[in-house]
Amino acid sequence: MTVPGLAEAADRFDRALAAVDTPAATAVIGELLDRGEDPVAVLVEVIAAAQRSVGLRWQRGEWPVAREHAATGVSAAAVEVVARHVRRLPVTRGRVVVACAEREWHALPAMLIGHALRANGWDVTLLGASTTTARLNRYLHDLGPDAAAVSCSVLGALPAGRRFIEAATAAGIPVLAGGSAFGPDPARALALGATAWAPGAYSAIDAVAKLPAVVPAASPLPAAPAAEQAELEQAHQRLVAGLRTTWTLAADVLVDAPVVVDSLQAVAKDVLNQVLHAVSAALLTGDPRPIPETAAWLADLLAARGAEVRLVAELGELLAAGLGDFPLARELVVAHWAGGLVGTER
Amino acid sequence: MQPGTDAPATTGPWTGLTERVTGELAGSLNLRRTALRLLDLLCPAFADWAVLALPELRSGRLVLHGGAELTATTPVTVRVDPDTGLGRVLSSGRTEVLHVAEEDGTALDAMIPHPRLREEAAELRPADIVGVALTARGTTIGVLVLVRGSNRGFPAEDVETAERLAARAALAIDSAQLYEDRTHVASVLQAGLRPPELPELPGARIAARIRSAAEHLDLSGDFYDVHGAGDDWLLVLGDVCGKGVEAAVLTGRTRQSIRTAAYFDRRPSQVLTALNTVLYEAESSRFVAVVCVRLRPIGDGSSAVASVAVAGHPPPVIIRAGGSIEQIEAVGTVAGVLPDLAYREVDVRLHLGDTMLLFTDGIYEARGADDFYGMGRLVELLPAYAGAGPEPVCEAVEQDVHEYLGGRPHDDMALFAVSWGR
Repeated sequence: MTVPGLAEAADRFDRALAAVDTPAATAVIGELLDRGEDPVAVLVEVIAAAQRSVGLRWQRGEWPVAREHAATGVSAAAVEVVARHVRRLPVTRGRVVVACAEREWHALPAMLIGHALRANGWDVTLLGASTTTARLNRYLHDLGPDAAAVSCSVLGALPAGRRFIEAATAAGIPVLAGGSAFGPDPARALALGATAWAPGAYSAIDAVAKLPAVVPAASPLPAAPAAEQAELEQAHQRLVAGLRTTWTLAADVLVDAPVVVDSLQAVAKDVLNQVLHAVSAALLTGDPRPIPETAAWLADLLAARGAEVRLVAELGELLAAGLGDFPLARELVVAHWAGGLVGTER
Repeated sequence: MQPGTDAPATTGPWTGLTERVTGELAGSLNLRRTALRLLDLLCPAFADWAVLALPELRSGRLVLHGGAELTATTPVTVRVDPDTGLGRVLSSGRTEVLHVAEEDGTALDAMIPHPRLREEAAELRPADIVGVALTARGTTIGVLVLVRGSNRGFPAEDVETAERLAARAALAIDSAQLYEDRTHVASVLQAGLRPPELPELPGARIAARIRSAAEHLDLSGDFYDVHGAGDDWLLVLGDVCGKGVEAAVLTGRTRQSIRTAAYFDRRPSQVLTALNTVLYEAESSRFVAVVCVRLRPIGDGSSAVASVAVAGHPPPVIIRAGGSIEQIEAVGTVAGVLPDLAYREVDVRLHLGDTMLLFTDGIYEARGADDFYGMGRLVELLPAYAGAGPEPVCEAVEQDVHEYLGGRPHDDMALFAVSWGR
């Protein structure tokens, strides 16, 4: 559905991003807006599209994390150009508070949604990366918005996302959930008590317009898995420390690596956090998919960095063994971790 | 789920509704949301149509919440007749039940002081219209107006139920009004204490972050500011003693003093000397740590000179485009405790792609599981961000410190980064 003029601009923007050339990138966006392109289309089809390829370049090991961040900084400057533009448009609808849950440091997706809603006449208050529930609460009571939108792109932010949903719905405020951590369908968002789910900016605009004025407080989560998730969170550091000493992600398992960008040790820390967050997400939402998805993601990540994929299976076994005190979590890992491997050994 | 259907009907048709009003209205301290929640609980089960009439304390006008559109708010500026209908409920605190006669709209006129809302109610061909006082903590703060359509009047027991509901709702609405009044005062006072919007600097890019110890208050003892024009800019980052509201007020005064001093002389040493004198004379025991950087391009603009002076503040670090880290050796006494201090400036060059990072002690003194975050971790983290620009540098440090904290409480934290060139 890309508009012809936008495709060419998107190419130029992509090159500016790859070159970390902020003036060039913001110039492309300024030109598009000046010639009357829809700000939402600019956000989605130019900036978000380029940003997705930035993430892929990191995952494939082509870019170190700092370069990914540098490119993201250019995207943020480009988004700011759109923000200045949409701020001049009239407010014709109610108020929406858009926030990243705690542990969610990717502020860009929430900014995109916020500016897209602003472009559609909503009065938007954007709370930045990793917002505490106490801070969100204060804004909800001060502003009395018509809706709250919560963004979680990392699985580790989902428990805090649930606390956001509790805070908003306790005040009767409907919640729109979005971001890749919620997965490809509404299942996780609705399991956590969100009023609606949207996979992107266009659908977020539709969904916010259709939200009810008042919602009941979110129902409690199923008690047993929620209790186990809380305990898992308490034990997080201990479990990570245990896995770090037992998982043989070390130099001797590296095959001849063409591109080893970030050190595998650094990646390992992220991986172990991520894996435990996936287990937490599965417990909280009743959706086991985060577990095989994380195994598959890890297999890709290691393959791109020249490490042996058997390390994924090893981690699954260590994880299951380490989760002895967490029967539901252990069961999820045993049942679903290998599913992610089967998918990658084609 | 409809109100009243979730409880056994042994004690009347509206069992459970009073409890729901109490419970669910307690969830919000926002007046508009509280009104919305109440109307949503009442309509359409208990009443076919309802508005909440709430006189505003500040403006004296009456605001009608609800009607056919639950989310509507309708301000009414005409005076409400104190001798009939709505006015009488407001002044007496006593319920009025009016029967609406077919060809005669006087009951609606008396209770609904707005033509559009009156029309909405009239369309229901109502039998009865009831005005119930919302009385909380000894004062009648508003009126709940309820309408039931034809063939469905208000029997006496339902009027009693309405009074019970109104008593519960009034407490929640009064609390929300009190909170809103305080919030208004606080936000007006706070507006001058918020971090400033960053200007665009020719030849340089800047970014800043503040995270206050009391994150829910958005009030910090750390601050940053940018002054200047053309090719001469002053970048300021500082930290006043204490935290929370008291610190934020001192922050505001400090920022203002620096702004005034910089108007006369933009040399960092002179700005700090002036600040020290002003604070020493005005504040007996309060002190402020500040770092000032004056930034000016050299020659064709491919590099800049940064003149740095500090008052009891950690000096900035430079992340060179090539990845090396330089710590600037600048020292100076905190401002505000000793008279007649002089400050020394250190000049450093910034070349294309270099980033200078200013940070407050909340960063390296962030307490993790067993130790401080420390300068060592900061210096180790930064080389990877060489050439990345100011925004990614601030973001990376903020995130890394937060992960290190692992959910523990932290002090105010502020970061300011400037990158020369793009």
